[in-house]
Amino acid sequence: MRIETYLIDDDSLSIYLTEQLLRAEGFSNLICTFVSATKALQQLVQNKEKTVPQVVFLDLNMPVMNGWQFLEALEPYTDELQGRCQIYILTSSLALSDMEKAKQYELVAGLIHKPIDSEEIKAIQARLQEQQG
Amino acid sequence: MIDAGTPLDSTGFEHSAEAAFRLDEKGRLSQLTAGFAGLLQQPAAHLAGQLLMELTVSSEADALRQYLRRAAAGEVVACEAQLLVQGQPLPVLLTLLPAAEGHAAGVYGVVRKELASSTNSLLLEREKHLSVIFDNIADVTFVLRREEDGQFRFMFVNKAFEQTTGVSAARVVGSLVPEVIPEPSLSMVLEHYNTALRTMKSVVWQEVSDYPNGRKTAEVSITPVLEPDGTCCQLVGIVHDLTAQKEVEADLQTSNERFQYALRATTDALYDWNVAANTLFWGEGFNTLFGYELKQNPTPFSTWADAVEEAEHQRVVAGLVQTAFNTANTFWQQEYKFLRADGSWAVVFDRGYILRDEHGHPVRMIGAMQDITARKEAEEKQLLLADRLGKQNADLQQFAYIVSHNLRAPLANALGYSNLLLRVDKASPVFDESLNHLRTSIQQLDGVLADVNGILAIRDQQGSYRPEPVALAAVCRQALTGLEKQLRQCGGQLHCSIAEQLQVQGSRAYFHSIFHNLISNAIKYRSDARPLQISIEASVAADEHVTIEVWDNGSGFDQEKEGEDVFQLYRRFHPDKPGRGIGLFLVKSHVESMNGRISVQSKVGIGTHFTLEF
Repeated sequence: MRIETYLIDDDSLSIYLTEQLLRAEGFSNLICTFVSATKALQQLVQNKEKTVPQVVFLDLNMPVMNGWQFLEALEPYTDELQGRCQIYILTSSLALSDMEKAKQYELVAGLIHKPIDSEEIKAIQARLQEQQG
Repeated sequence: MIDAGTPLDSTGFEHSAEAAFRLDEKGRLSQLTAGFAGLLQQPAAHLAGQLLMELTVSSEADALRQYLRRAAAGEVVACEAQLLVQGQPLPVLLTLLPAAEGHAAGVYGVVRKELASSTNSLLLEREKHLSVIFDNIADVTFVLRREEDGQFRFMFVNKAFEQTTGVSAARVVGSLVPEVIPEPSLSMVLEHYNTALRTMKSVVWQEVSDYPNGRKTAEVSITPVLEPDGTCCQLVGIVHDLTAQKEVEADLQTSNERFQYALRATTDALYDWNVAANTLFWGEGFNTLFGYELKQNPTPFSTWADAVEEAEHQRVVAGLVQTAFNTANTFWQQEYKFLRADGSWAVVFDRGYILRDEHGHPVRMIGAMQDITARKEAEEKQLLLADRLGKQNADLQQFAYIVSHNLRAPLANALGYSNLLLRVDKASPVFDESLNHLRTSIQQLDGVLADVNGILAIRDQQGSYRPEPVALAAVCRQALTGLEKQLRQCGGQLHCSIAEQLQVQGSRAYFHSIFHNLISNAIKYRSDARPLQISIEASVAADEHVTIEVWDNGSGFDQEKEGEDVFQLYRRFHPDKPGRGIGLFLVKSHVESMNGRISVQSKVGIGTHFTLEF
């Protein structure tokens, strides 16, 4: 399946894990990984005319630019990205306040606690197919 | 003591040979003695009910009416009158006495035939004057006569006697002293009377007696009246009522005593500011509270103003003057530092009441200075405690953060890899790598727990921390030993210019950790653009405070963005460099454990400069 996916996380162990879990579920063969949110943002904004990732997995706790700052930086492009790009927050934090805060961003489709499991991956797939169909 | 309400024995009265009568309020004869009837040569029954006016010469009616009115109003009146006896005028001496106290019940009259008219007129005139004098004297005046049997009988009392004692003259005159004065006063006064008679000298004493209208304090003087033959059978008594004076004195004394006790009870320094003279009158408290020995009292205003701390002059002294002269306020209060005699400072709470004249101008201010130094110190201690508790609370929140994220992150990875391992082919390279990652995740978990343990250890030791002199240069060298290889490999250089003999009170282990962390940070975050230079210096200020400075020319960080966050646990600024974000947190914890302070200045691309103060 051709689902362009961004994986943004400063923890390389977490990135490798998520990537392998997605592959094991046959989620996508087009996964771009970023250890820096700044670089991911740069690439996303640069290519947004031609192509945008249909799914972004975003870690929250990262140095320099954290997940929330990444979402803030995308705010101006909300209309442009709406319907084309779904962002899933993927965090190890269990804080309830993150759930509330996530609802403020229209592009955020959901919040998943690490590690992501196959049920969650299947649900995201189903949702994408629904939209495309 | 006789009572004003006791009726006279009317039978006795009517049979008396003395010429006397009683008039009702209309001036009619209600009672008369046989003597009086005899004088008029008419039967008593015939006279009863007649107007006295009709029994006297009509030309004197107006004057008589005046006398009667005065007597009815409570005066003893002596006057001349002419009774009509068988149509002929008979000159008599008439003494009129008020019949009863308090109401217009009539008048008693005592009649005596005049003897030789010329001498009698003179005597009468004199008696009138005396009567006026006696009745207008505020002091109680009475005349006693000693009877043959040694008893004393009241011969005369004045109006003040009635007013002071509440006993009417009519009840007293003619009575024996024991009938008027009860025991125990009786024995005492009789002794004084006899002393006066025996010594022929005045006797003076003070006494407190209970009369129908209250307790009286009086000064009594008894003076014997000498007859031409040198004998004496009359005493003149004068009682000066001291009750009011005594009460005022007693009140004043009570109120003075109360004030003295209040002054002693209060530990405050009371003062009275005389605004016009610009002087302050101080209570005892000023000396005891602040240790002064005032040479004069009142003192000039400046005595107080000069002892107020210089920095607070504007607020306190100028503030008081402003309140007194430019406002209508009646209260002023301020908290300030006040110089004690021994040169130390007292924290004072001062509160004053401003008295103003009818124009609102300040006249005086009465106030009290309260020494609240101890209370203030307790408050400050409490603030310090609250501050420390706040800090500890913030630390606890940090721990919650560690648990929620830094433990959870490697744990989540470990969980994920253990799941993944079940699903991938054991022969694939992914299986091997995942197994490796699982081990790494568990090691990270262990690392975080070790950090938490280390931090808890510092906090535990804070309570039992015993400072010892630490030779800084030696400790710095030791910390460097483990890092020399790394430093050489990156081509860096370190200059330590701490004097060998410099010692600082603290913990050797803490200083070791501080130097180790700062140097290894400098190596880790060096700039690739230039060879690393680290320099460490220490200086001692005049007040013996030691400052340690550590410079490097590394990559630095954006201080405006990160500020003091660099010292927070698990806060990292260099995603491209390995690190757990615990080093600077430990450095700060160690510095603060030794009551020191740490600050940092950094510029991206230029370097970082840590300053440690002890």
